[in-house]
Amino acid sequence: MISSQAGSLVLENISKTFPQRDGQGEVRAVDDVSLTINEGEFVTLLGPSGCGKTTTLRLISGFELPTAGRILLDGKDISNRPPNKRDMAMVFQSYALFPHMSVSKNVAYGLRIQRVPGKELRERVERVLDLMGLRGLGERRPNELSGGQQQRVALARSLVVEPRVLLFDEPLSNLDAKLRVQMRSEIRNIQRRLNITSVYVTHDQVEAMALSDRIVVMNQGKIEQIGSPEEIYRRPTTRFVADFIGRANFLEARIERVDGGEAEVELLGQRVRVPVTFAVSAGDHLTAVLRPEALSLREDATLAQGAVEQAMYLGSSTDYVVRVGEMVLIVVETDPSAHVVFREGQTVGVTFEPSTVHLLPPG
Amino acid sequence: MKRLSLVVFCLMIVVAVAPVVTPAPTQVQAQEDTLTVLCTPQEDWCVAMTQAFEEETGIETSYVRMSSGESLARIRATQDDPEFSVWWGGPADAFIAAYEEDLIEPYEPELASVLAPNAVGEDHSWHGVYVGALGFCSNVSFLEELGIDPPTSWDDLLDPALKSNVAMAHPATSGTAFTAFWTIVTLKADEFEAAEEGTGYDEDGMPTQEAIDAAFEYYSELHQNILQYTRSGAAPGQMAGTGEIAVAIIFSHDCVKLQVEGFEGVVVNTFPEEGTGYEIGGMALIKNAPEPEAAKMWIEWALTPEAQVIGQDVNSLQLPTNPDTPVSELSVNLSEVNLVDYNFVAAGMNRVEIVERFDAEIAPQPTE
Amino acid sequence: MNRLYPSRHIAEFRRIFQDPVLFIGLVLVVIFVLIAILSPIYAMVDESRTTEGRELFDRYLNSPVYRTIIVNTLRMGLIVAALGTALGFLIAYVQVKVDVPFKRLIHIVALIPIISPPFALATAVLILFGRNGMISQGWFGVRYDIYGLDGLSLVLTLSYFTVAYMNLKGMLQALDPALDEAATNLGASKWRIFRTVTVPMLIPGIAGSFLLLFVEAIADLGNPLVMGGNYEVLSTRIYVSIVGLYNTTAAAVLSVILLVPSLLVFIVQRYWISRTSVVSITGKPSGVSQQIRHPLVRWPLFAVVMFVVLFILLIYGTIFAGAFTKILNVNNELTLDHFDFVINGYGSEAMKDTTRLAAIATPLAGLLGMIIAFLVARKTFLGRNALDFATMLGIAVPGTILGIGYLLVFNQPNEITLPLVGTIEIIPKLTGGRAIFGGAGAIVLVYVVRSVPAALRSGVAALSQIDPAIEEASISLGADNFRTFMRITLPLIRPAFLSGLIYAFARSMTTISAIIFLTTSRTKIMTHQILNEVENGRYGNAFAYCVILIVIVLVAIGVLSIAVGTTSGAERTMEGGA
Repeated sequence: MISSQAGSLVLENISKTFPQRDGQGEVRAVDDVSLTINEGEFVTLLGPSGCGKTTTLRLISGFELPTAGRILLDGKDISNRPPNKRDMAMVFQSYALFPHMSVSKNVAYGLRIQRVPGKELRERVERVLDLMGLRGLGERRPNELSGGQQQRVALARSLVVEPRVLLFDEPLSNLDAKLRVQMRSEIRNIQRRLNITSVYVTHDQVEAMALSDRIVVMNQGKIEQIGSPEEIYRRPTTRFVADFIGRANFLEARIERVDGGEAEVELLGQRVRVPVTFAVSAGDHLTAVLRPEALSLREDATLAQGAVEQAMYLGSSTDYVVRVGEMVLIVVETDPSAHVVFREGQTVGVTFEPSTVHLLPPG
Repeated sequence: MKRLSLVVFCLMIVVAVAPVVTPAPTQVQAQEDTLTVLCTPQEDWCVAMTQAFEEETGIETSYVRMSSGESLARIRATQDDPEFSVWWGGPADAFIAAYEEDLIEPYEPELASVLAPNAVGEDHSWHGVYVGALGFCSNVSFLEELGIDPPTSWDDLLDPALKSNVAMAHPATSGTAFTAFWTIVTLKADEFEAAEEGTGYDEDGMPTQEAIDAAFEYYSELHQNILQYTRSGAAPGQMAGTGEIAVAIIFSHDCVKLQVEGFEGVVVNTFPEEGTGYEIGGMALIKNAPEPEAAKMWIEWALTPEAQVIGQDVNSLQLPTNPDTPVSELSVNLSEVNLVDYNFVAAGMNRVEIVERFDAEIAPQPTE
Repeated sequence: MNRLYPSRHIAEFRRIFQDPVLFIGLVLVVIFVLIAILSPIYAMVDESRTTEGRELFDRYLNSPVYRTIIVNTLRMGLIVAALGTALGFLIAYVQVKVDVPFKRLIHIVALIPIISPPFALATAVLILFGRNGMISQGWFGVRYDIYGLDGLSLVLTLSYFTVAYMNLKGMLQALDPALDEAATNLGASKWRIFRTVTVPMLIPGIAGSFLLLFVEAIADLGNPLVMGGNYEVLSTRIYVSIVGLYNTTAAAVLSVILLVPSLLVFIVQRYWISRTSVVSITGKPSGVSQQIRHPLVRWPLFAVVMFVVLFILLIYGTIFAGAFTKILNVNNELTLDHFDFVINGYGSEAMKDTTRLAAIATPLAGLLGMIIAFLVARKTFLGRNALDFATMLGIAVPGTILGIGYLLVFNQPNEITLPLVGTIEIIPKLTGGRAIFGGAGAIVLVYVVRSVPAALRSGVAALSQIDPAIEEASISLGADNFRTFMRITLPLIRPAFLSGLIYAFARSMTTISAIIFLTTSRTKIMTHQILNEVENGRYGNAFAYCVILIVIVLVAIGVLSIAVGTTSGAERTMEGGA
């Protein structure tokens, strides 16, 4: 089986600045990023376009040189090592297959560069083609393959050289939605099986959640938060993260009381106790995050009353936009069959599951 | 493809590096088995001569054809490391100018004694290889169309009917054109001298500055009738032949050559009655010649009748300077032509100045 | 001003150092640019700044005669640029957007001028439309004076319009037909589309062609020599200064005067094109362009284009006819004498020499062009833009200027004196018959310099069509820059490489102004021989030469196409090369 000597990767205070187009000043694409990626770990860099995630990946790969900071692979400083000597392989958004070579030649390319002897080379190519479900397509040209097949070839080409780190640059964004989901699970399976350290760049938070051991959310060149998909979703540390990962309602919350690790706040007329990990005192104004699916609508006059401004029936759920006083809330009722479907203009009571309330740290 | 590119790439590196790693270039020092001739007459004659010499001596002979002004300029520019060993052909005044500038090396060939005195340069710096007179080469039907007779005087060329219908070469590049210029200088000097002694020629027998100025006046008037100054002396003849112009100022033998080579009956050769200039085609050893021995062999050989007769084979009908050479019946008989007393030495000494002045004052002038 | 980021540049160079082949490549390229392009130009400019040169500047710029010459040069440039661009646009537009028959013929005829030697057109035009022209005098009985501006405009337009045609055809084809369709859907008429969509989108192309033609026209030497009449232009003055007077200072001064507009235009064009690169070149047109079928548009345009096509065919027919007749229009007897003269006479040596030198220069220029394209398009380092600019100077600078620069720099060995080692000759004497290789070195160098820019541009264009990720993929799989270039980049830009080669060969075989001062007794060049024949009025020989030269170029195109192994045929790749 293909085995890979998984590597560990450390980014130490990495910065990258580019000169601006007009030559005036410079743009900080990556700003003091530090990150440790363990052997065999699958880490995703997630963020909106222009957040520095791709630049960070290119810094890891060596296609760009950091303006400041160090990159360590298995403890060795590789900051100035050229990209072809980094023992990493990259899978590109555009697949970047060599159009003038057959599938086998594409896959064999890296092995030829390493001067792997013919027999071994053929065996390894064969094996990886099998692994990727490309058996029998070896003699085809890339342009004779479907998009999904092309991406499999690209992945096979990177896997076969057994890199210490596998880099993915939005590899699925050129595929249609269905294929994307399928490839997602394939990548996930293979990565787990081969235990290859992987760094994956995407702007698609669902993809990130589905694939990653850990997600690094980036914004404006800086890391906003690092954490497991669950942490990122449930306990975002910034408004940006909360907003970028899934949908969120932000409610102003005044701390009524602090008690040990919990703070008591009033939200939508309900008093709830919320665990906090940072120092707060009574009277502070904080922002509470309530995921739309944590809210629900009832015909109950005792609850905070709101007006339905929009209702969209989506089959598996119904999305509402509800105005409560000054606030506009997004509410997602899953399993609509269990509930009444409200109409636009209707007045409803709004409630929520107290355990899902999350308070953002101040600042 | 892959391999080819690789080879090419390596080749490129080798080529790029080669001059660096070989500090001393292989100076192609002729073991006197090569000769490089600077050749001024028409190209086919140059070919015939060099081939014949090569056959005769086994010396690998190559040439570059350049007009005589060009030749002079090139020899001057490369005097520190000349690329030519012998200069053959073109009016003698260029050779005199070259000797004046110390660009040629005197050498006396055995046959020098058979030459007429005016065909031997000072100190044997150069020797004449052929003689020819200037004439007017006119397109017969074009003249008919214009309703004028073939010109028989220099003043005929100033006829407004000939506006843009005359061509000559540029004196800077062409010995022919310079000969034409000096002819006018001589005629003007004669004219002045006849009017008042001492105004045409100075005490050394040199035409005075006034005569030269008068020649410039003539040419600036003629400029209005000139269609184009060519680089090469014989070129205007072809233009007359194809009917692009009516009259070309060229050497008469070049006009005869045209008649023989397809323009029979198309062009007619006339001479100015008041007198015309003539050239003695020169030949000289170039100073610091890279192949001096071969060059001397050429000089000896070029004066022999066998060499001098070669021109006739390619219809170059200049008159030979060696009296033993048979003369083609097609050649112009110079005894029937009124020749001016052409002072080659004076011409040669004034050459540079006149040429530069012509190029600055006359050639670039717009015509009305 | 640009702020420098020393640390970044050091890192970039360290990165290049790490890859020895890339490093050697860059060093070679820089050496080439410095020695073969910049130093001759610098020497020429330097020569003009001597005391004598300054005096000449004063003299020329204050002399009404020379002012006229300068105005003449610029006027000729403007006329040719306008006519050539218009003609190129017309043919390109008809070719791409109008439904007419014989499109292939039209296309091929429009390409012919690239492979035709200088003087061929001028000489044929003289025979046809000269003062005793077969057509002007023979048919119409008009003694038309074509010498001067009229004739020059005609001949230069026909010589150079191909450049505009290729440019504009490419742009027209790349224009997204969806734009046209969108406009049609909005109810715009074809004429309105033409005016408000097509033309504005093409403005950069039109301007670019105009400027390019302007530079070509004012730098042209061969045509003014043959049919300038008394319409004096700078290039002929430079020529006489060197050839007749060997006054390099005067030539340098005149060259600088000529260089100023050329360089200015070149810079303007560069910035213009770099700013307006927003043209919708998608590479994949989203539909098939609607062809214009309206008879009132179609047939008149067809008639005009066919007239031009027939005119060009007539001219080339004249060249062939002239090569096989005694004296065309005087004695029309058929003969092979001219070929005999050229092949068995003194021409064979020139043919061999020229072909050999062009064949040496061609792969060098092609590969150098691709390497520079690779460096410029794919690598970042300090001076990348300067490298691109300097390489392009090879064509932006008039050929005569390059030639004079070579005479100034390479007419003696270039030496440096090092402590301990002593004096080392770093570049031997390259020009003149006594130089190494009989002066062929300088000629090859000039050929390369003149051809590399086109190869560079087609290389950059091809690279911009190729996703850089493909090369990065190769690098990330462990290949270094050299292997990536040889295994991935070069095969992918093969059509551009081929067109670079073809262009280099054709350009080398047909160039005259740059090498006219560099031919020697031991290195004879066909174009120079053609000039001799033309100047001496022996048109038959000149035509025979031209025919042979065209045949050599066509054969070479065939050979190159097979060698480089493109299936698409030479004609297609020529399109990239112009």
